[in-house]
Amino acid sequence: MSYSIPIGPYHPALEEPYKLEVICDGGVVSDAIMNLGFNFRGIEYLAERRNYLQGITLVERVCGICSNVHSLSYCRTVEQLTGAEPPERAHYIRVIVAELERLHSHFLWSGTAAKLIGFKTIFMACFTLREKVMDALSTISGNRVNYGMNCIGGVNRDIADPKAILNILDELESDISHVVLPIFLHDKSVESRCKGIGILTTEQAKAMGAVGPLARASGVGQDIRKSAPYCAYDRLEFNVPVETTGDVRARLVVHALEMVESCRILRQALSKLPEGPIHTKTSAGRFKVPAGTAISRTEAPRGEVLYEITSNGTDIPERVRVRTPTFMNMATVRLAVIGQELADSPLIQASCDPCYSCTDR
Amino acid sequence: MNTAPDNFVQTLQDAGLGSEWEWKFGSWWTTPQALDVRATTMKMLALNARFVAISATEQPDKEIRLHYQWDLNGQLLSFVTATLAQRIASITDLCPAADWVERETREYFAVEFTGRKNTKSLMTRDGDPIGINLHKEVEK
Repeated sequence: MSYSIPIGPYHPALEEPYKLEVICDGGVVSDAIMNLGFNFRGIEYLAERRNYLQGITLVERVCGICSNVHSLSYCRTVEQLTGAEPPERAHYIRVIVAELERLHSHFLWSGTAAKLIGFKTIFMACFTLREKVMDALSTISGNRVNYGMNCIGGVNRDIADPKAILNILDELESDISHVVLPIFLHDKSVESRCKGIGILTTEQAKAMGAVGPLARASGVGQDIRKSAPYCAYDRLEFNVPVETTGDVRARLVVHALEMVESCRILRQALSKLPEGPIHTKTSAGRFKVPAGTAISRTEAPRGEVLYEITSNGTDIPERVRVRTPTFMNMATVRLAVIGQELADSPLIQASCDPCYSCTDR
Repeated sequence: MNTAPDNFVQTLQDAGLGSEWEWKFGSWWTTPQALDVRATTMKMLALNARFVAISATEQPDKEIRLHYQWDLNGQLLSFVTATLAQRIASITDLCPAADWVERETREYFAVEFTGRKNTKSLMTRDGDPIGINLHKEVEK
């Protein structure tokens, strides 16, 4: 006899508001129904009632983890309409902040995953490392969450002392290679807990339009930083880790290896940081947005973010469309939990690296 | 930045996706006379393209313009069409990735996607009014 277990709307494991109705036959999940919208704030609607400068502040509040990527995408989209090309130094600073954000998001995810695996030592280690990244972001921007770094035509703050960030990076790289990688890549307990569970096949990932580390763990090797480079990514060397097994362990491996690649990008960007201004003159507010529609895509920590902005020539956008990575990835949870043990479902859900704030907007 | 190979438009033309393509502001755009969204979806899937999004915009005449966006080898393609009396065929049975996007678009812009099996609300609750992103206050 099948029975249904309602989990949420305040999820006990993920501590975010969404509701999952799990239908089980014995201890095995036979189906799952997701209910969203508990975090719906009408961000798109609100952005169409604020001017372009106010919009930057608003969209940075779409998400508390990847806040920078939203303001970056918004500014990049408006820059296409205005033609306000940021100077080279601003491109590099944008890369540095984006990669630090990716690192702290991946540490957060890794810590949460470790906690659900039952490996709380690694949870503590990951959150300790995350604090170092937050310190670096705080050093650059003055803020730990919403950095306020991006403006139309560049960035608001310079990185005065790249060596200080490089010193933090030295510590991070050492800790990642000595603590995170050995556990996530080679530890037998982690492997036995994660191998073969929550599988999302390559075909399923493609059919559901999955993006980011979730798709890359299922053999879909897309990364906007490589396929449609922006900022300074085409001047930096890095690899895109791809696994093919599609299980929770593959997601752990992809996240861990992406941390290594982010450090690699950061080291290059900080070392090559060119001299010059950090924004064009238009970022002082003197710009006009001509009528038209522009789109930008950015690789957030969880995958591709799309912003589409339609201007009618006034200082308030006609339309602001935000498509976040978790919006595409969350629907795959149903496929990943079907046929799995109920006890594994919290870890499987978490392994998709969901962000309900992004999804609901 | 346009990173498409020189013969990219020819590739699209050969796949039966039309020849009127323009690169502008971060995407390749085409506005066919009458877009058959289902036939286009099948062609894009045959090319192994990835569904990205549907973006809706309210027009001054209250019609809803839709942009169907696909990623083909890193290039973003936008097919522009308008709804007929705010109704358009669903593509969810062909492309499951469009399921949540269609549900969301219905709630925000009151567009009915015909042929859908699941009409449950996504962001709002069942029974809530639809079209919550429409510019209603302009009429006041």
